[in-house]
Formats: sequence, C-alpha cells, structure tokens
Amino acid sequence: MTTFSVLVIDDEEDFVTTLVNRLQKRKIEAQGVTSGEAALEALAKADFDVILLDIKMPGGMDGIETLREIRKRQPQAEVILLTGHASVETSIEGMNLGAYDYLLKPVKLEDLLVKIAAAYEKKSTQDKS
Amino acid sequence: MRVVDIIRAWGRKPQPIRLDRSTTFQAKYFSFKELLAANTGLLDIIAELEEALQGRRVFGLAYVRTQAHRAVHHTLRMIHGLNYIGGRKYLSLMVVLDQIDKQIKALIEQPQSARAGALVLAYDGINKEMLDWVGGKSANLGEVHTALQIPIPEGFAITTLAFERFMANGDLVERVTNKLNGIDPTHPEKVAEVGAAIRELIMAAEVPAELQAALAQAASQLSSQCPQGVPLRLAMRSSAIGEDSELTFAGQYQSLLNVTEDQVIDAYRRIVASLYTDRALMYRLTKGIPEEHMAMGVACLQMVPSVASGVMYSRDPADPAKPDIIINAVWGLGPYAVDGIVAPDLYIVDRDSHRILTHHITTKAVQLIMGPAGGVTEAPVAPERQAGACLTRDQIMQLADWAVRLEQHYGTPQDIEWALAPDGRLVLLQARPLPLISLERVRTQQATARYNDYKVLADGGLVVCPGVGHGPAFHVESADDLMRIAQGAVLVAKHSSPRFVIAMAKVSAIVAEVGSITGHMASLAREFKVPTVLELKDAKTVIPNGVMITVDAFAGVVYEGRVEPLLALKPLETSVYRETTAYRTLRQVADLIIPLNLVDPKSSYFKPESCRTIHDIMRIVHEFCYKEMFQLSDLVSYREGAAVKLNMPLPIDLYLIDLGGGLELKEGARRKVKFNEVHSIPLKAVLKGMLHKDLCCPEPRPIELAGFFSVMREQMLAPPTRAERFGDRSYAIVSDKYLNFSSRVGYHYSILDSYCGESVSKNYITFSFKGGAADEVRRNRRVRAIARILERLDFAVEVKSDQVDARLLKYENATIEDKLEQIGRLLLYTRQMDMLMNSEASVETAAQSFLKENYRLQH
Repeated sequence: MTTFSVLVIDDEEDFVTTLVNRLQKRKIEAQGVTSGEAALEALAKADFDVILLDIKMPGGMDGIETLREIRKRQPQAEVILLTGHASVETSIEGMNLGAYDYLLKPVKLEDLLVKIAAAYEKKSTQDKS
Repeated sequence: MRVVDIIRAWGRKPQPIRLDRSTTFQAKYFSFKELLAANTGLLDIIAELEEALQGRRVFGLAYVRTQAHRAVHHTLRMIHGLNYIGGRKYLSLMVVLDQIDKQIKALIEQPQSARAGALVLAYDGINKEMLDWVGGKSANLGEVHTALQIPIPEGFAITTLAFERFMANGDLVERVTNKLNGIDPTHPEKVAEVGAAIRELIMAAEVPAELQAALAQAASQLSSQCPQGVPLRLAMRSSAIGEDSELTFAGQYQSLLNVTEDQVIDAYRRIVASLYTDRALMYRLTKGIPEEHMAMGVACLQMVPSVASGVMYSRDPADPAKPDIIINAVWGLGPYAVDGIVAPDLYIVDRDSHRILTHHITTKAVQLIMGPAGGVTEAPVAPERQAGACLTRDQIMQLADWAVRLEQHYGTPQDIEWALAPDGRLVLLQARPLPLISLERVRTQQATARYNDYKVLADGGLVVCPGVGHGPAFHVESADDLMRIAQGAVLVAKHSSPRFVIAMAKVSAIVAEVGSITGHMASLAREFKVPTVLELKDAKTVIPNGVMITVDAFAGVVYEGRVEPLLALKPLETSVYRETTAYRTLRQVADLIIPLNLVDPKSSYFKPESCRTIHDIMRIVHEFCYKEMFQLSDLVSYREGAAVKLNMPLPIDLYLIDLGGGLELKEGARRKVKFNEVHSIPLKAVLKGMLHKDLCCPEPRPIELAGFFSVMREQMLAPPTRAERFGDRSYAIVSDKYLNFSSRVGYHYSILDSYCGESVSKNYITFSFKGGAADEVRRNRRVRAIARILERLDFAVEVKSDQVDARLLKYENATIEDKLEQIGRLLLYTRQMDMLMNSEASVETAAQSFLKENYRLQH
C-alpha cells in the first residue's frame, strides 16, 4: 500500500476541507491551509510529496509568490496549480517555475485525485533514479 | 488494478490509492478529455463569432471581451492538456498564445471614460454605441428614438455603472463571488441552490444612497410630467450586457409592469436578482462566461395605459421573401397579444403596394389593464367593442411604416412591440432582431419550383460568397474591360482573377467558368461581400453580354431577368450594426482568432512558432494531441492499453486504446483485435451499425456527375495534403462502458463520446460532425441532412454553419445502444452523401433515404 503526503493550499475553506478529508480516507497524509503565509508555516514543519496550490488567493501572498517560496524550500515537491481564472501570464510563470500541472476549475474531485496520484508517481520515479 | 476500476473505486467506497503504470495513463487520459472539451468549446466560439460577424444582431464591447476571454481560456486549457500529455514538450505554444493574447487585449481594453458616467440616463442621449453602458434593450430604444425619431414612452435607463455600484456596496460582490466559487455545472441541483442563495442576498441588499437618490430624482421628474392626479407608473425591463443575452435570454430576465414610484427600488433588486436564475447561471457556467463580464441595466419606461397594443413582425418569419408585414393587436396591455389568452386581430400589410392584404378581426372578450395599486389585472372588454378592430387604417399604415424603416436601419427583420395611447398616439415599446430562420432554411422551404417561372441560364456553380445580385451581364476579356464596367453590372468571366478587385465595389455579382473557393479572388469577393459563383460551366456562352440576369449565390444558379422573390432576400446585406465600435473591434479581434493558416501538418511551417491565430494553435494542438495519445502505448504496457488495430472489413482504419474492460487482449505481440474481442458496449453498438451490409462494403453506386465533380474538385484544388489525408485513421478510446471515437478526414471530422451502463442518469451520447470535402453549399446541405436524421432519432441538435452538434441524455442502455448503432451507420453513410447533395431537395432525400435504411441511395 502506498502512502504519501499532500498539502492543499486554497483560500476556499470548504474545498480544502473536502479534499483533505477525501485524501485522508484514502490513507494519504493530507494537510490543508487557506493562505500562502500559512503554507510557509506548514512547509517549515514537514516535507510534502505533492502540493496543490490555488493561484488566485486574495489578500496576502498569491499562488505564484507562494510557488516561488515552495521551490526554494521544498524543490522536490510536485506542485499542481489550480485556478478558476486562466491567465496566460500565470500559466507561463507557473510552468517556468516547474509546476507539475495547471488545472482549470471546475475540476471533479475524482480527476484531481488522479492527478495527485500521478504527480506522486512521477516524484517517486525521480526519487528512485 | 485497471484504470477504470480505479475511477470506480474512487467514485464508491474510498480505497487507499494504489499506484501502477495506469495511474499515469489515466491522468493523461483526463487531460485528453479536458483538451477535447476545450476544443469543442473553441469550435463553438468560432462558429458564434462567424455568425456575429454577419452583423445581424446587436452586441457591445462586453460581448467581444467575453468571447475573446473564452477563446483564450479554452486555448490555454488545450495547451495545458497537451503539455501534460506530451510531457511539457509544447510550452512554446504558451508564448505564442501570450503574443496573440496581448494583441487581443490591446484591441479590447476599454477606455477609462467608458466606465465613467451617470447612474441614470435619459433616452435622448442614448444610441446603439452605448450598449455597454445601458444594456441591449435600452441601447436599442435609444437608437430608435434618436436615429429614427420613432416615439417611445417617456423614461430613463438605469446604467451598468449603477449595477456596479449596487454590487460594490457593502460586501455584496464578495458574498456573491463566494457563493459562486466551487459551483459545479455537472450538479444542477447545486447550481439551483447557489442561484437561490444569491437571489436572496441581492433581494436583502441595500441599494447605495446615491443610486436611491438618482432613481428618486429620475422618477420624480417623470412624475411631474404626468397629468394632474395621475400617479406615475413604470414598466421596468431588464437590459443586460455581457453576452448576446437579449437574444439568448429573451424573456428569461425579469420585466415588471405597472411599478409604482415607491416600488422602484425593490423592482430594481428583483431585476438584478434575475441575473442569477438557475437557467442563466447554467448557461454562463457551461459557456465559460466569466461572472465579472455580466452586468444588468434596466429600461424604465412610463406605463402607457394602452387602449390597444401588440406585436409586429417586419417579415413573415416563415417566408421573409414575401413583402408581408404582420401586425397583431389586442385591447389593453400587450402581454395578452403573445401569451395566447386572447386571439388577436391580424393585419397583414404589403410593404410595396401599401395594401392591407388581411384584415382579420377577432372577438376579444377580455383585456389586461393596469391595477390601481400596481401590477396588472384582467378586465372584461365592453360588449360593443369586443368584436371591433383595434386599429384604424391610418394606424396600421403608420405601424407598417415603422417596420420598414426599422428593418432598413438595422438591416435585418424586426420584432416590434407597440402600444396605442388613449390620445390615439402610437408608441414603440421595444424593437429587436426577429430570429429568422436562416436564409438557407428559407431556401429549403421555398421549393425550387418557386423559381421555375424564370429561365435558368447556368446551374451547378460553386458558391464562393453567398448573396443575390441583379444587373446586366458584362463580359470581361481584358483589364480595359474592368475599367469600363458599369455600376450594378454582373461581371462574367472565363477565369477568376484577383485583378477583378478594382471592379468589386461596383459590380452586383461575379460569375466565372473557372476558379476556386480558396483562391485569392474568392477571399477578396468575400471581403467585399460581392455575391460570387464560380465553376459555372460555359457561363460566357450561355449568359449573353448585356442581358439582365439574377445571380442566386445561395444555390449557385443564374436566372434570366429579375427574380423578385430572390431579390427580396437582399435587405439582409446591409446592417447598421456593422457601423458600431463593437462590430469593428470584433472584426479585428476575430482576425486573431478565426483564420486558419496552418493547414498542412506535413509542411515544415506546421510548428508552434508559425501560429498566428487561436485557430492555428487549436489546429496544431489537436494534431499533436492525437500523436501524443497514440504514443501512450510506449508508456503503458501492452496489457494496460496500447493502441491496437481493429481487424474488420470496414472502409475506415480504426485504432483502439483500451482503458480497461473494453477489449479482450491476449498476451503476445498481436496488434489486431476482432469484433468478438470487443467488449466495450458502446463500441460494439457502433461497429454493429457499421457492419450493415449496405454500408460496410457498398457496391459502386450510380453517381450524379455534378456531385462527383464537386467532391473531386474540392479534393484536387485543396492543398495536396488534404487529399492525402483522405485516408486518415480513426481512433477509439474505450472502456467496458465508455467510448470516445474520433475520426478526422482533412477538414471533416466527427467526435462521438458515449457512456452506456446500467445507471440511466450517467448515460449519454454526444456527437459532433463538422466540415468535410465538397464545397460550402454541399457541406451545409450535408450538415442539415445529418441534423434532420439526428433530430428524428430524438437527439437535441444544434447546427452552426458546417457543424452539427447532437446530444442525447439519460436513456436506458438498450436505447443508447440502439442509437449508437444508428450513429455507426450514419458515420459511414455521411461518406456517401456528398455525391447526392446537388440540390436543396437532396437534403430531405438524403435524410429520408437514411431513415428508410436505403443506404445505397437507390431511387
């Protein structure tokens, strides 16, 4: 049985709770935060295999800023970007910063779970090599 | 564990995630589906833009922005999908899209002044350019009033700036956005719930003080103009922007009649709230229209205590070629004229002779009147007036005159609401484009026999630019002839030539014996909107110099003389909408979206850096994505779903990818499967259809020569690869209950997507067919024939230019299988249809033949 750790960063609390719940039920170590700042705190405490990151977070750090910090602190993590409003600029920035994938909302939870699993699979293949 | 099992496992009881190679495959498959969905979205947008560019409907800059935004959004979805499938190989496409996106943004960025302005505007200062400030309905009313001086009721428009202020007040916009976040169009009950919650928020929201003051002032000013002792009553109608909502949502948003002065604020809230009905929300979600592009204006008009009112059509929608103007009238307020409570009087006026052709007076026992405390109420009509005519001859003629002027001004038939005030004055309440059955449909209905009174000089031409032209034939032999050509003449030549451009502003039509639809002159003709027919055999011989002719550049026919019914279709050629800023902007934006420059995948030019338009990117992504999908077999082991060839006697090469349970694949290197090894329920049904004895190996059938030549000509004139692509592969991705079948032949492709299992609510078929070999007229006919067939098979069908989209939802699996079998037959049948599409009548013949299972098209 495989298990791995996931960090979910999204300002939408309901979404974070639901996803974290679903992941935990599948025996995945999942944690959720609702801002970039809170994400940095979580990154300081634990390592993550896969990180799900919302690009548009009003208020504090936005997704791209957060992604830059993730790259510095945990370059080994695979990051999936998620957004309701596609923008070409953030797409290019995100992909240049090595994001694993860029998904446009609405995404079905099932699809998201598949992507998370595939991201972990990629990471574990790289870890082995 | 197989891919499909994983999907199911996640859908049901949570299981620990297991990883195997199929996880990667499955993730790529989801990206592939995402890419295909975005591709469909883009095709829709392109078809919509092409329609808007005909200039027959009103739209504002907000519409242009929304469409551009949607186009970029879907293109980005496609690029991300491709990069995921192809392992980031195509990131350069994002840079290309970025350049196009920047050019589009430069065109659509709104000047600051546009957002500034008043909360409330008088109709005196409103015209068609102001759609973004006041919404479609108010802009139209203002235009009618200012440009044509047709009387409208006193009133004022509540602007979209007022809407913005209302939404920005307190934290309303945040609360609405919060509700909208995470809304999922695949769960209609959730959408309904969110919609109801938002409407509740809006109804409870406070209207900002400055807007309350502006509304109070505007209402009190109107009130002061009311006769002594008569209180002000308003009709408040939604006037939305953000899409072509006035057309799509006609009657969907709220309109309130007989609103008293103290009800205005509440009525405003109700109208704004109607932006969030379930239906409006679903529409925007499924179309990918951003919420921030929505805005609601409101038209506030003083209620006319109408003696009579009604609806007028400037054309008969079923036969716009006739000169008829149709007027309906009832006693009292208008709604009873349309909702069938009272049979209205019917007057039909001949626009040319000014004669009243029909004067049918009904018995109108009841009427709708204004209620004393607001609202409307039914009341009896005095017995002596019940059987009386609502309108006098003068009034009828006055209305008819408006109809003609409105149609001329807007360049398209109009649907008009009018009212007769107690003092005998007529006022216009609303004018909007009459949703006409498209010209092609009209042509179908007018049997060819209709024009049999006229002599056909030449037939079977290739339509390059549709329309109708009339004038004396003028043979062109040399460049000098081009200088001498008279205004309104029809240019007749042996070969088409770009040199004709110098005469294009003068001539009423062009016909030539030789030429191609993709040629340089053809694009010039379309740019100048000159009705043009090419490939008219012996045109110069059969059309004598100087003879008066009518060119039917819908059907590719030239008649001798003046064919009145055809010429009556001409007014659609001019449009005042084409003069708006929004139209000009759309034209420029569309040039960055629609043109397709990358037509040849084998050319060295076919690479990301060569993309100039969104369509180019879409084309290249589509091409690369199939390549990538079929390289997936390199990623997954043979058992897990490599591409294998179907070994069956079919006229197509079909390659299959199994996601699990769809095929019986044995160990070993065998790359072919037989019919009995196909376990996918939907694929089996389609194959069963294809195996019909008259379709899978048809004997050569008699060919109509003209049809044959049209197909061959298109193939031969097309870029070389198009002909080569004629034998392209078809692909099917399958599971036990799922099928995604795609087939591309040159420009013609079809996508069939279906789920067929025990759960009725999950079952569906979506089918899309576009383009194909043969010229535009034949393509259009073919698409209409396909649409007819699908409609009769109970599909919901939509046709846009040469594309047909059909959908069938929530049927028992037995029914789904049956329909899939029919689609299997149809997929092969379409390949035989082109040859037949030589006349309008062939549309019905082709449909009938299919439905009668006469697939060989025997007479």
